[in-house]
Amino acid sequence: MTNHLGDIQNAKAIIIFGANPAVNHPVGFGHFLKAKERNNAQIIVVDPRMTKTAAKADLYAQIRPGTDIPFMYGMLHLIFKNGWHKKEFIKDRVFGMDEVMKEAEKWTPEKTADVTGVSKELIIQITTAYAKATPGTLIWAMGLTQHTIGSSNTRLAPIVQLALGNMGEEGGGTNILRGHDNVQGATDMCCLSHTLPGYYGLSKGSWGYFAKSWGVDFDWLKGRFQDEKMMSTKGYTLAKWYSGVLAGKPGEDKIHGTPLKALFVMGNGITSISQQAKVKEALDNLELIVLADPFVNEAAILTDKQDDVFILPAATQFETSGSVTATNRSAQWRSKVVDPMYESKTDHEIMFDLAKKLGFYDEYVKGMLMKENKKEFTFPEDATDEIARIIKTIGLTGWTAERLKKHQENWHMFDEVSLRGFGPMKGEYYGLPWPCWTEGHSGSPVLYDIHRPVKEGGMGFRNRFGLEHDGVDLLAGKGSAPAHSANKDGYAEITAKNIEEVLGITLTADEKAKIGKNWKVDTSNIIAEKCMEAGIAPYGNAKARAKVWTFPDPIPMHREPLHSPRPDLVKEYPTYADKPNHYRTDTKYASVQNEKDWSKEFPINLITGRLVNLNGAGMENRASKYLAKLTPDMFCDIHPDLAYEHGIRNGRMMWIHSPEGTKIKVKAKFSYSVGSDRVFIPFHFAGVFQGKDLSDRYPEGTAPYSTGESANTVTNYGYDIITQIPETKGGLCRIEKA
Amino acid sequence: MNRDTQKALSTKVGRRSFLKMAGIAGAFGATSMVSAAGVTRAATEEEVKNPFPGSKSVKTVCTACSVGCGIIAEVQNGVWVRQEVAQDHPVSLGGHCCKGADMIDMVRSEVRLKHPMVKEGGKWKRISWDTAYERISSKLKSIREKEGPDATIFLGSAKMGTEQAYYFRKFAAMYGTNNIDHQARI
Repeated sequence: MTNHLGDIQNAKAIIIFGANPAVNHPVGFGHFLKAKERNNAQIIVVDPRMTKTAAKADLYAQIRPGTDIPFMYGMLHLIFKNGWHKKEFIKDRVFGMDEVMKEAEKWTPEKTADVTGVSKELIIQITTAYAKATPGTLIWAMGLTQHTIGSSNTRLAPIVQLALGNMGEEGGGTNILRGHDNVQGATDMCCLSHTLPGYYGLSKGSWGYFAKSWGVDFDWLKGRFQDEKMMSTKGYTLAKWYSGVLAGKPGEDKIHGTPLKALFVMGNGITSISQQAKVKEALDNLELIVLADPFVNEAAILTDKQDDVFILPAATQFETSGSVTATNRSAQWRSKVVDPMYESKTDHEIMFDLAKKLGFYDEYVKGMLMKENKKEFTFPEDATDEIARIIKTIGLTGWTAERLKKHQENWHMFDEVSLRGFGPMKGEYYGLPWPCWTEGHSGSPVLYDIHRPVKEGGMGFRNRFGLEHDGVDLLAGKGSAPAHSANKDGYAEITAKNIEEVLGITLTADEKAKIGKNWKVDTSNIIAEKCMEAGIAPYGNAKARAKVWTFPDPIPMHREPLHSPRPDLVKEYPTYADKPNHYRTDTKYASVQNEKDWSKEFPINLITGRLVNLNGAGMENRASKYLAKLTPDMFCDIHPDLAYEHGIRNGRMMWIHSPEGTKIKVKAKFSYSVGSDRVFIPFHFAGVFQGKDLSDRYPEGTAPYSTGESANTVTNYGYDIITQIPETKGGLCRIEKA
Repeated sequence: MNRDTQKALSTKVGRRSFLKMAGIAGAFGATSMVSAAGVTRAATEEEVKNPFPGSKSVKTVCTACSVGCGIIAEVQNGVWVRQEVAQDHPVSLGGHCCKGADMIDMVRSEVRLKHPMVKEGGKWKRISWDTAYERISSKLKSIREKEGPDATIFLGSAKMGTEQAYYFRKFAAMYGTNNIDHQARI
């Protein structure tokens, strides 16, 4: 999220793609409604389903799943044609927009209407309303990301905002609504197979920086890995780890690495990941499964594995303390409410205990002792400070435990719309939204905002990809630096070498001796401190890239989902070639799409999403009597016309079949929120698998108050070309009466 | 309410047997709630206003979604007794959705996993933490020795605190693999 929830009240228009905040972020949605009430902002919803958010919208487009790129190009077509784009902004702060303009030319309202299923009149009405009411904020969630072209979707949305000059503005920005409470924080800490905490890569240099910062010998760390090559090789992902187990079986994707034998899960509902039948098979074939959760992780119920399945009671976040990063990059401190219930232990205690058993405990916790050369650590405070000491890339230096606690104590001293602090919190924004460059920095409530000085949260775009490409300058244009900057133009990221030149200062000999090689590894923090004084963003001031020359599609291009209801458009907008060795596994694209005309046998679009009373895999909330009772059964929203065609009646059971050959049995619920070409199912259920009730498998006294089929038993094969996020929002299915 | 009456009121006991029990309780009278006279009294104004004397309020944050609504938990003698909205929280401003309002019930849920367990021969068996650690680590060690560190995958969570997530990533690093992931990939 470039801005924050309260800032949405500053928007004059709000456009929402593939997000349903009225249901998934109800309290956050209050800020949207205030924008409507106080600011007369129009709410525009683009979604395959008439959601409860859409019910509050002024304009609603019922888009065909997987056609967000055509819709946005359709908008850009009209924006450029009518000259509604901000020419100066694009010239000074964006690279590669000319190629976007060329592609947008093709997407006339007629063409866009044909591909998206939205009438051309509505496309024109929505674009006009949105483009003319600046600043406008653009919102998305998993409806936009979970596609084979998800990474392109998440690039074109910011391009729309860049074209309109909505980036770096209060009331503007691209505002992504994260799902779980700490998606932002856990992602920043990079529980990811391709990065280290703070998005440092897996190169030898990164590992060297971490080895040093953790106080361990690099060679020792290297020795823990199979070899130096594997140390820098991306691992399997959550989306496709099953391939690592099933490798070698006929019909399974080939792998490039060691087959998996053991699975260790902590707090992850892996029963809400696509390809449940494969996940089950993988679980069955593992040698060891460890599942640590406050409730029984339903992977333990799904598997037929008879031995060596361990379930460990983990404490909830109310039985420990620490920080959590909200969707807007603000850190909030949680205080412990009660001691861990029953015999449960906190996540970190389990990790520490296991590290002892596995023989690397001393190395593991050393990072917490280094700041003050302590003998003993206090968790989480010393871990918070360890993170602050090491993570420079996203500017976490200012996130000390002491400061975060002070923000918690002073909830009442912050303004809801600006997050600005008053009284004891003067000069700081609530939760110190990152980047928070120094221990005295205010936090940055609005990313890429050049109207304010760097020390008050201002910055341009990051200089990350060199100084020029194809002869075009990648640094920001003249005069487009943050306010009160010593350097009014674009500049490179700050290094020990260029700091004196860019900032126009002279370092003392002592400073020169202490300073790190560049801003990302400068643990002395001299670079950041000097930058604040000079009004310079340590990461440089460059142009945003509309064109990413290293990606398969340098500018975002439409490609039909692997399973598309429009075979004619598959020919025109085919998917990618199959991708070998993607996160250690081969991933299929064209070979699935071209296998047959899927729409003949599976003519109905399948959409999944959340319900207001449940979240994630649902176990936490289904373990609450009151919440479980609101939706006691797994169900399918189906239009009465479609139901009638198949002899399905309201409240009766129906089957949903997927192209994978899997099926689920669910209760039909008549609904006008979907058209007769698509159905909607929620993904929070587990405990029933392809018609078979597994509820007798829960250990005594641990069964939730409701169970049901997992939607992800029938979501289709398909993974994003860059990130491997599964394509759960654009598949096909067939239905029948049960 | 005494234990027997509580049991009697649970759904497992039929209406007929409840009446029987109530009858017994009535017959023996004395300390039972059923014969109220002289034993129970109306709560004082103070008791209504402050039913949990000596309780403390703890500020924390909801774990349902990423909005990060404030929660004020009322705790008495180590028990989370009531949940209050946080009127002065700068983002939630006293708001809560049904999930958030129910955090107290999630924590106190009776169907929580209460102790470590292992499945053996298809049956769940209660074990101690020490046994769990011993068996898990020896199995991990033998897999690591035989197949290498990349034969294990660690799936972490967007429901961990930031410090825990950091330590989860570090755990995989020191175990010697990049097979680590969680829910959020874009």
